[in-house]
Amino acid sequence: METTTEQQSATAPATGATALELKRVRKSFHTSEGRLEAVAGIDLSVGTGEIVAFLGPNGAGKTTTIDMMLGLTVPTSGTISVFGRTPRAAVEAGEISAVLQTGGLLRDLTVRETVTAIAALHGAKERIDTVMERTDIMSLAKRKVSKCSGGEQQRLKFALALLPDPRLLILDEPTAGMDVSARRSFWATMRQDAVAGRTVLFATHYLEEAQEFAERTVLIGAGRVLADGPTAQLREMTGGRVVSALLPTGRPTTPAVQALRAVDSVSSVRLTGQRVLVTGPDSDAAARMLLNELGATDLEITTPTLEAAFMALTGEES
Amino acid sequence: MNPTYVRIELFRQSRDVGNLMFTVLMPVVMYLLFGNMFGGGGEPAGNGNVKFYVMASMAAYGAALATTSIAGTAATEAMLGWGRQIALTRMRPSGFVTSKLAVAMIVATGCAGLVFAVGAGTGARADSPWVWTASFLLTVLGSGIFALYGMGIGMAFKSETALGVASGGMVFFAFFGNVFMPLSGTMLEIARFTPMYGYAGLVRYPLTEGFGAGAGAAADTLGVLVANLVAWTLIFALFALWAVRRSRARR
Repeated sequence: METTTEQQSATAPATGATALELKRVRKSFHTSEGRLEAVAGIDLSVGTGEIVAFLGPNGAGKTTTIDMMLGLTVPTSGTISVFGRTPRAAVEAGEISAVLQTGGLLRDLTVRETVTAIAALHGAKERIDTVMERTDIMSLAKRKVSKCSGGEQQRLKFALALLPDPRLLILDEPTAGMDVSARRSFWATMRQDAVAGRTVLFATHYLEEAQEFAERTVLIGAGRVLADGPTAQLREMTGGRVVSALLPTGRPTTPAVQALRAVDSVSSVRLTGQRVLVTGPDSDAAARMLLNELGATDLEITTPTLEAAFMALTGEES
Repeated sequence: MNPTYVRIELFRQSRDVGNLMFTVLMPVVMYLLFGNMFGGGGEPAGNGNVKFYVMASMAAYGAALATTSIAGTAATEAMLGWGRQIALTRMRPSGFVTSKLAVAMIVATGCAGLVFAVGAGTGARADSPWVWTASFLLTVLGSGIFALYGMGIGMAFKSETALGVASGGMVFFAFFGNVFMPLSGTMLEIARFTPMYGYAGLVRYPLTEGFGAGAGAAADTLGVLVANLVAWTLIFALFALWAVRRSRARR
């Protein structure tokens, strides 16, 4: 965990001013089972123009953290600033906006009425047509929200989020419950917009979304930041590659396993039957030992998916 | 409060045909029914006639029912996450509640207005225009306290069913509040402590000056009616406040 913090400061893109800053943010709730610490001290800094994925399993504290960024909930301790203001002041200035998780629409309003109502509250009626065109909901204008598909409702919520022309856009699991094609078209729309220079932070538990759309990924679990860095580096910082090979039959496997464990760069060795799985940042050393000294065969080297990295970091067994 | 938002809300409420049937048409139908039953011959009463008495009562019932059901939708909207959507705009929670109250009062005005218009066209009479005006204004303004009741029930139970129960409860309040038909004896003694008694009594006060319509009913002073209204306003306000706090703590 130490290394990930260092990597964050070393690899954070050199962008302009800070868009969003969280300092030692904590949030606990009182529930029937006692005190629940949903967010247990999060530090995060997002520069303007960054696209950041907020990746974590359900119950990791993503939504609670996002609620605090938007001023919907007040942190128990710690501070949050959005372009140097409090979240609520940033919301009122139209600098931050969000696509909230499922729900959040009135089913008996039409699409246009929904956009008009929220536009009126933002004092941004002149942007109604622009955002409806940009999110491709013009053709749905007269349709009742209840008659819209999940993807269409999400595009409508995206339109609502664009109304104040925010500099920072927060998306809380924007594609939850969508099928693959709806998800793709949502992100295609998103991307066109992201080009316009907005800072975007999106929560997701779809690993491929983080891989495909975010330059930087913040892994969150149990209310803490587990790792934070460029999405491309996330795999390496989470344990490197896996070397898998068959140990020769007829020789005891225990000494081989012990020898592999003794290698500095090896973090774990697992044996199933004759097949040994060696995980560590330096796959070359392990591979050399396996082939040269241990006489192993059928050697494979793989880079774990983000999924595996995620499992390793959040301590969940796959 | 935002005029465009209120206008869209009004359009939305006007599409809710089921609710409109109950809040707008029922009072009119009941006026026609009870008005003819008790005052079909144009019997005089106080500063007008019996039909005016029935008309004012039914208008009060309709207006109170309208504010109850519309204010209650604020809670179901919050439940659907619309409140969070609103919280991402410049509008403050107080603005949301004010807008909702404005919508409720506008619909209540329409409701009462329709009953009064039908009354004026079918033989409800008062001695002076002052009685009409005062009675109408009291109907509209007083209906506001039932918005607190509706909002409180909605927030406390957070379900559409609860809202139905709240509206259903109004029938009960209206019956025991001496609104539908004149009560007498023990029933009337109990009625004096129920939430609609003060409101309906005040709405009819310009006509009756406090005299009851039930057999052998004692006259109510203005003070008794105002005390009932004030007490119930306080009770409903505290209830709504408690429900809002409770729903926040639970989140």
